[in-house]
Amino acid sequence: MLNSVYRRVALVTLVAAWSQVALAHFPFVECTKETPDIVCLGGFSDGSSAQGVTIDLISYDEEIIASKTFDDHSRVQFEPYDGEFYILLDAGPGHTVEVDWNEISAR
Amino acid sequence: MSTSVAMQKNHKTHSRWFRWRFHLSGLLILIPVVLTPFYIELMSLFGGANGLGERVVGTQQVGPWTITLAEQFERGPKLDGPAGYMKTFNGALCQECAEQVKAVYMRLGKPRSLRTAGVIGFGSPYHMTFSMPVPENSASDADLWLTLEGWDGALHHAQWSLAEASPATVQFLQQLQEK
Amino acid sequence: MNPNIEAKAPRKRTQWWFLLHSWLAMPIWLFLFFVCLTGTIATVSQEIIWLFDSSVRANPPADAGKMLSFDEVIEVIERDAPGAYVEKITRPVKSQFALTAEISYPDSTSENVFINPYTGEIQGRAASGFNFRQFVRAIHGWLLIPFNTGFTRYSLGWYMVSILGIPLLLSLITGLVVYKKFWRGFLQPRLRFNRGARVFWGDFHRLAGIWSIPFIFIISVTSIWFLIQGLLFEAGVPFNGVSQAPVYVARDEIPTSEQGRPPLLSADQAIAQVNALYDNVEAQVLHLPSTAFGHYRILGRSQAFPLVHESFLVNPYSGAIDEAMRVTDQPGLMLTRLSMRALHTGDFVGLTLKLVYFLFGVLLTMMVFSGMRIWTTRTFKSTKAAIRQKTARANLAGDPT
Repeated sequence: MLNSVYRRVALVTLVAAWSQVALAHFPFVECTKETPDIVCLGGFSDGSSAQGVTIDLISYDEEIIASKTFDDHSRVQFEPYDGEFYILLDAGPGHTVEVDWNEISAR
Repeated sequence: MSTSVAMQKNHKTHSRWFRWRFHLSGLLILIPVVLTPFYIELMSLFGGANGLGERVVGTQQVGPWTITLAEQFERGPKLDGPAGYMKTFNGALCQECAEQVKAVYMRLGKPRSLRTAGVIGFGSPYHMTFSMPVPENSASDADLWLTLEGWDGALHHAQWSLAEASPATVQFLQQLQEK
Repeated sequence: MNPNIEAKAPRKRTQWWFLLHSWLAMPIWLFLFFVCLTGTIATVSQEIIWLFDSSVRANPPADAGKMLSFDEVIEVIERDAPGAYVEKITRPVKSQFALTAEISYPDSTSENVFINPYTGEIQGRAASGFNFRQFVRAIHGWLLIPFNTGFTRYSLGWYMVSILGIPLLLSLITGLVVYKKFWRGFLQPRLRFNRGARVFWGDFHRLAGIWSIPFIFIISVTSIWFLIQGLLFEAGVPFNGVSQAPVYVARDEIPTSEQGRPPLLSADQAIAQVNALYDNVEAQVLHLPSTAFGHYRILGRSQAFPLVHESFLVNPYSGAIDEAMRVTDQPGLMLTRLSMRALHTGDFVGLTLKLVYFLFGVLLTMMVFSGMRIWTTRTFKSTKAAIRQKTARANLAGDPT
């Protein structure tokens, strides 16, 4: 009983070691369907922008339809693509985020 | 005379409260006192003194290599600001394969390509850390896919069902999706 | 009360300042005392370990020659534990300390290994994770309350501690306002031991206070900064500058190899690359690449502006320096953050400054205590009339409890 309470508190106790270091640096991207373009907003979890980071629109058969980089406002626009595709933010090997076409909602 | 004694008495109790209430902030010191054992436990977990993580998932043969997987904490993913929910796993390569494997990637669901193989394990090959995003709409019967990339370019996959890899994450997803 | 202070005109205003000064810290004095005390210990925590554990000392031999290079340290570890993985090497900032290497072993455990910087002897080991230095820092900095609990991304304790900077700074200001002509205290220091506790603590409080003006100012301002830093982080303001995406080696820049890991630049070669291109860099901390796409990260304290570390990312395949963060390259917010931290901890010069910080830390801790003593002796040992008056005044001033 005590052990389980103890464990539960310990579980909540994450990252306590890091005050300065562990500013997490995970990429994220959100895309919405505007008319007519797809607009994506990217960034990192520590607040940094994704300016200059590569983002590709890739069809399901792995053909790169469009390859762009985020602009000064950490945004990027893609022309609409008729088919199944996904959008990939690529900040480096193992530092990617995918957005599938059916996860892109209209605004 | 007697009234003055009574007044003094009254004053004494008053002053005791008066005196002690200014020491009450000292109760805050109890916070680190209570949290010390948890802190020590947590630090030894981070340091690897308790092994690879709180719960070892298992070891798999992957092509010519073996990899052991563990949950850093036996619990669901944690929200990390705008990046969404993240779940931390640790992995260890066998000593012989540490020099052969260039990178290990992890994601929920089958990867489409090497480029989308997921998050990279970083740190020592004997204690790699994976911070894997768990989208809120992930299927709770999804599989955890590990991609091992050799220095020679070879690719090998390992798979665990999420239920095996992290029951707490399955539970988390079910609760999240019921709402 | 001290007639020197209260008798002077304009009486009313002085009294108001005096009440503010008295009430600022009193309700929280014990917590403030605890934070000051742990902070004082934290400044010299490394030195305390040094006193008790001989394995972390440099122990130079009689014929002490050159210190080991980073490559030599890696060789020492490879000989000691073949196959072990070196994550990080720290060379002593202060010549009294041994080299520290963070090692990960094939059984998934990890250790800090202390190496004699002259002889290469492994002097001691400590399980990584828990250590006294981090523990004291964590108690002082955030009361061990975890970070990122969902409620706030920083620890709640971080805010409880850093907000103390506000009453501390106000205490300094109000203290100087009510202590008329405080600069005379420098010329005529007065510490009376033979006139009872009240007089002694009063003299001490004023004397320590004026000598600690710069220190209290630094500590309180940096604490308030820590509060702001936390709030900025909660608000998602980046410290690295807006366009600081992380840097990785591209996949197609990495050679393939049939025989396992291709030969990388050695640590010393990586440092030589930095020194060839940049002046005045003395590598103090070396992080080995943490993935196949990672860099050597080399840190050295800036010689022009020692409050800040400079960092360099060296591509381990090509030797190219893919990121250089010199003082002038750092965005203002990052410079502020690094400088504030260095100013708060006093770890940017060496042992002498640490001891100075320790001394003033002790004084500040005792000032909190003496402030409380003055407050209670004045209140409880003086006449009933004074108590009644005080209570009435306190109510007027708005009881902060």
